[in-house]
Amino acid sequence: MILLNYIASFFLITLGLYCIVTKYDLMKSVIGLSIMDYGVNLLIITVGFNPGGTAPIFTFGELNPDSFFVDPIPQALTLTSIVIGACVTAMSLSLVIKLKEMYGTTDTHEIRRLRG
Amino acid sequence: MTIVLDSLRYLAYILIFPGFLFCFLTGMLLCGIDRKLVARMQKRIGPPVLQPFYDFFKLLGKETIVPAAANRVVFLAAPLVGLAAQVVLQLFIPVFSFSAFRGVADVIVVLYLLLIPALSVILGAASSGSPYAGVGLSREMVTILAVELPLVLVLLAVAKTVGNAMGTGLCFSLSQIAEYQAANGSLITRLSMLPAVAAMLLIIPGETGNHPFDAAEAETEICEGMLAEYSGAPLAVYKLSHAVKLLTMTSLFVALFLGGIGGAVEHLLVGLAPAIAGGLAIVIEIIILFLLCIVLVALCCSLVHAVTARLRIEQLFKYYWTVVAGLALISVVLAWYGL
Amino acid sequence: MTHYPILAIMAYFLGAFLIVIFGRNRAVRNTLGFLGTAVPLCLLIMLAKPILANGEIIAYWMGNRVPAGGYAIGIALEVDAFGLFFGLLIATAVFVAMIYSFSYMSHDDNEPQYYTLFLMLCGGVMGLVLSGDLFNMFIMVEILTFAAVALTAFRNTVFGALEAAFKYLVVGCIGSTCILAGTIMLYAQAHTLNFAQLAAFLPGNLNIATIIAYALLFIGFCTKAFLVPFHPLAADAHGAAPAPVSVLISGVLTKSGLYGIIRLTYILFRTMNLGTVQFWLVFLGSVSMFLCVTMALAQHDFKRLLAFHSISQIGYVLTAAGLATALGVSSGLYHAMNHTLFKGLLFLCAGAVLHETGTTDLDRLGGLSKKMPVTTVLFLVGAFSISGIPPFNGFASKWLIYQATYQKAVESGNIGFMLVTVCCLVTSTLTLASFVKVTQSVFFGQLPKEYEHVKEVPFGMRLGMGILAALCILTGIFPGFVQNWLTGPAARAVFQANGYIDAMMGAGYADKFGLADTLPVSFTSVGVWSPISWLCLLAIMLLAVAIVAITSKYDAVSKAAKQTDPLTLEALESATAAYLPTAPANPAPRYATGHAASGKYELFFGGEESVFSQVGGDDLFWGFKHNWRHYFKFMHELHSGIVNDYSLWAVVALALAMLYAMIIL
Repeated sequence: MILLNYIASFFLITLGLYCIVTKYDLMKSVIGLSIMDYGVNLLIITVGFNPGGTAPIFTFGELNPDSFFVDPIPQALTLTSIVIGACVTAMSLSLVIKLKEMYGTTDTHEIRRLRG
Repeated sequence: MTIVLDSLRYLAYILIFPGFLFCFLTGMLLCGIDRKLVARMQKRIGPPVLQPFYDFFKLLGKETIVPAAANRVVFLAAPLVGLAAQVVLQLFIPVFSFSAFRGVADVIVVLYLLLIPALSVILGAASSGSPYAGVGLSREMVTILAVELPLVLVLLAVAKTVGNAMGTGLCFSLSQIAEYQAANGSLITRLSMLPAVAAMLLIIPGETGNHPFDAAEAETEICEGMLAEYSGAPLAVYKLSHAVKLLTMTSLFVALFLGGIGGAVEHLLVGLAPAIAGGLAIVIEIIILFLLCIVLVALCCSLVHAVTARLRIEQLFKYYWTVVAGLALISVVLAWYGL
Repeated sequence: MTHYPILAIMAYFLGAFLIVIFGRNRAVRNTLGFLGTAVPLCLLIMLAKPILANGEIIAYWMGNRVPAGGYAIGIALEVDAFGLFFGLLIATAVFVAMIYSFSYMSHDDNEPQYYTLFLMLCGGVMGLVLSGDLFNMFIMVEILTFAAVALTAFRNTVFGALEAAFKYLVVGCIGSTCILAGTIMLYAQAHTLNFAQLAAFLPGNLNIATIIAYALLFIGFCTKAFLVPFHPLAADAHGAAPAPVSVLISGVLTKSGLYGIIRLTYILFRTMNLGTVQFWLVFLGSVSMFLCVTMALAQHDFKRLLAFHSISQIGYVLTAAGLATALGVSSGLYHAMNHTLFKGLLFLCAGAVLHETGTTDLDRLGGLSKKMPVTTVLFLVGAFSISGIPPFNGFASKWLIYQATYQKAVESGNIGFMLVTVCCLVTSTLTLASFVKVTQSVFFGQLPKEYEHVKEVPFGMRLGMGILAALCILTGIFPGFVQNWLTGPAARAVFQANGYIDAMMGAGYADKFGLADTLPVSFTSVGVWSPISWLCLLAIMLLAVAIVAITSKYDAVSKAAKQTDPLTLEALESATAAYLPTAPANPAPRYATGHAASGKYELFFGGEESVFSQVGGDDLFWGFKHNWRHYFKFMHELHSGIVNDYSLWAVVALALAMLYAMIIL
């Protein structure tokens, strides 16, 4: 079960990278970035997962050495990471809009004024 | 009192020997001898040996014209800065065992100080706004690039050889290199140094812009390139700088490879009283240095000048980065494995 | 005093938020911006004495959540000499860039947004170098990446700005994702994100997961430092961004990447005593150094050229830092500092040129030295510094780097390091060559007609450049001071990971893991260089030469010639009129057109009305380029400008780093 998560997350990251590298369209690059983000998020969640653990929500009275719960830190990290992923998407999409306005295309082979 | 005496002594170093006056006289003489020798090799009579002096003083009296497109301050200041930097550089090159200022600059610093006069010529030329100067400075810069690599390798080879012998692994101080040679004989006698010596002999005409490697000045095609707009006193100063550079490069060669002669001289005078021997040794060493400089100039400048035609700039670059750098690299590798 | 680091970071962010709210008014905005950058600078300078001089380490636990039971729970800021060194650099650079911005950006729309993003970027970088927590570092990386991308695209009508921003965003995000993935893999192994705890845990636990994490983090920070496979992004971003932002990206942002790499390899993983890691860093540094300087030679845009040089200089720093000797790290940090100063100065000069002429194209500019003398002088200071001309600061640090590499070669007996020395020296000369090109084609040569109206930049911009130029000269003249009080302590901190761990986690924590600081801290330098003496000698010599020159009327004649210059022909004719049998009756029209159409003096003045003949920058070093033409052609085709290619390079670099990391195991 956990192993499948790891495989899936690395698959997603690789898929995202593949998408960025091979797809000659700005939108697809953005989609690739998002996929990569999801892969990493899945990885983070998986790292903190304890099979059979409860949600890490306790008051001090409830907390005792036998409490068995999933690691809360990765979940906090994931939240942050999701927010950042959303920012990436928003920012890159706004850039794509401006690029489309200026260059009249979203083909990466057309958008290469800066080179050499 | 000692402070006054010391400062007077240092002032004498700066202004007389091995500073300004010495550089002026010997540099100009070397220049004159070079011209005379080239002429004789080409079966011409040639100018008198003192001709550079005549030229210098005559130019001083001529009118200085600043082109309309030029940046006046840079145009006029560049030759002076170049000359000063060139002469100061000469202070750090030991005359056999005598070095006027030790603890100021080592080999690597000297390598960079060599760039300053060249750079000031380039800046002066750039500020003149002349297209000839533009072409000239581009070629000068390429020449510097070309010469830099073999020169670096030669210096590293020497540093490594001396360092090996001294047990520290590497030695960058010129005065230590000189002292080592005075005690243990010249580096030129070592097998591993021979390629470096050959490389250095080829570097001297390149660095001083002498004939086969003078694409940057190329009188016949770009009107002396960087000096195209210069006239009068600034031109005289440039000529003087160039003459001093001849002295600097040849005496650098002597300091790097022929330092053992200083030891021989001291050995010769060992019977005399120390005070007299010290003074006499310096005088003899200066004379020997001057003679060696003449030999080197005759060998690398006059002879090469007389028998070769000018290389194009890209040929020059290729030559230095393949042949000369290759020679120096052989030397480095030999020195590295302690041969 | 323990609160100073957090206050320094907060000042930037607070400034950013306040500018969003109150920034409509220019005076308020500028005051906030000034305070937002000046306050952190002051705070860090106040920290300099205890940390750099006394060697203290500040550990600040946010919310006072100190470690319990040997586990760091809270988020920490930890400031050692190494972090503070970079902090000081950054604070100085952003302060100067802010001063410069007041004048430079005053004609732009959306100024409040600019200052907000600017301060966010500063805060991000400052947070990164002062942070003691890996995830916190990631957050800061993201903040600074976003701010940098947004600022790159800020002038979105500028040629290529959007494109540059998009490329930077895509590859930058790949890098950030690498950092995040590496962070989380370390967390999975060590169950902590705190640097000190990781530093204690990792050296003894180098397994496949941590080493892959190492490769991921390394590539992530390489992206931030724009090292070799990522260098086209730097060139694009620097070229398009406004000048003060270029200063931030090249002087500040790249430093954060370097900081990450050094922190990672020296303190977190302590892998620097391995020959393989040394080789990796030195190789990467040397390749960056040489490849980018040749790329710079082929450029004909001022800022793009500077951008490539920026990476070239970062290559120097990485090479020196990768030597794993005290002299190497110290000289590398020295060069990092100098890079911030002189590259900042050069970008500001490029900005000044852009501000006045509206272009940075080297082929169209020329002869500005007469119109902008102050900028020219300041540019020359920067250019000499970066080319390593004595006595400017670039020389001092490069000279140490040459020694460090050569000493390493001698110590290790590996001739490869000697080739690195040669590479450093040749790169330095190539740098000089490309700055000669800039000098010739922007500031000297002939002034094109369209720039006749150009004037000197406003005082605020000159002030910013002047501060940096003064620092360039000072740090060059007093290398001993810099080494003793800035880079020396910072280098020592790099080598004393145990002290760092103990300061955070309580004394004796490092010993529990049986770690020892293995690398030597002290060093001797074999070379001799005394800038003061040399300057004195040069001054005396110059004085002597100048006195001789002036007494021999060096330029007296030319002054007279200059006064009569416009009238020469007239003066000559009037002077000779007496001797001529028939003087021209009405010569005026001929002078008005500037052509001496006929007559006796045609020979002398016919060519005076010269055509505009500037030798442009593009082909200046033909002799060099011709020999390397295949290389340049290959490089030109390689840098295709397609974002997919650059992403592919990133992926390949990542794969190679992972494969190479296996060797370390």
